[in-house]
Amino acid sequence: MHIPDGFIPLWQCAIYWIIALIALGYSLKWASKNLDEKNIPLMSVLAAGIFAIQAMNIPIPWGTSGHMVGAALIAIIFVSPWAAVLVLSIVLILQGLIFGDGGMTALGANIVNMGIIGGFVGFYAYKVLKGIGRIPAVFVAAWASIFLAALACSIEMSLAGTFPLVEGLIFMGLYHAVIGCIEGIITVVVILGIDNVRPDLLPAWVSSRKQEAVE
Amino acid sequence: MNTKNRNLIIGGLIIALIIAVMAPFLASSNPDGLESSAESLEVPESEAAYTAPLPDYAIPGMEDNPLGGVVALIVGTIVVLLVVLGVATIIGKRKKNGTNE
Repeated sequence: MHIPDGFIPLWQCAIYWIIALIALGYSLKWASKNLDEKNIPLMSVLAAGIFAIQAMNIPIPWGTSGHMVGAALIAIIFVSPWAAVLVLSIVLILQGLIFGDGGMTALGANIVNMGIIGGFVGFYAYKVLKGIGRIPAVFVAAWASIFLAALACSIEMSLAGTFPLVEGLIFMGLYHAVIGCIEGIITVVVILGIDNVRPDLLPAWVSSRKQEAVE
Repeated sequence: MNTKNRNLIIGGLIIALIIAVMAPFLASSNPDGLESSAESLEVPESEAAYTAPLPDYAIPGMEDNPLGGVVALIVGTIVVLLVVLGVATIIGKRKKNGTNE
């Protein structure tokens, strides 16, 4: 879903850049209050893993492929959408700067879609759904995070005059409804993995262990 | 940094590097959802406004060699880890040393 250069007119790119920079400011503020020696190592390795897995495009029908984004994973594990904004912004900046994945002019829009929308949808979807059980809630939240990010992307493409609105929504929605299943499965697997290896790093709301109310 | 955290970083990095090494061989070369939509909607390909040093996760001159992709992804994975570690450590809460909180 990395938008390349040339798909969005520059003046619209500027608007997404401004939104992204404001969100990045909030995410740094969140980091200054919530990151410490205990959770920084986990955030660092998850970011590295997200970068690597974003290069692993999995084939889906219609001659298309897709990869995980990871925003819901970060938002759920760090109990904040701002954590996802921070991690995805860093990943997207480095992908654009070093690997030309996603245009530099479109970087703001890519942060808006995958970081901000992905993170907020993942976080609030999990918050609303966690009553149905943590595994299905994680899956659906992760699925919704990439699906809605894709719909936002197609609306931006339509505002840019690059995609017609309805067809864009249908194609992007269809492809990412499938890619969302990949997102959901991997997000569940990673959370279960951390639950096994370092349960102390999972917050109470997604941990299998009954924790006493600590905070 | 205590042993548990060091093990977490080493273990997590190994998993990420395994993915990075496999990706150039296993990843589908089909266009992604956005590229596919653009093709279906007959949007012309666009020019990048900026030339990245390792475009498309490949080393210039060895685009057809998957080992170039492996190297590029290993570099990227380590750089991402170090940048997040660095940014988070600089921005994050200071160690409890009596001066804050």
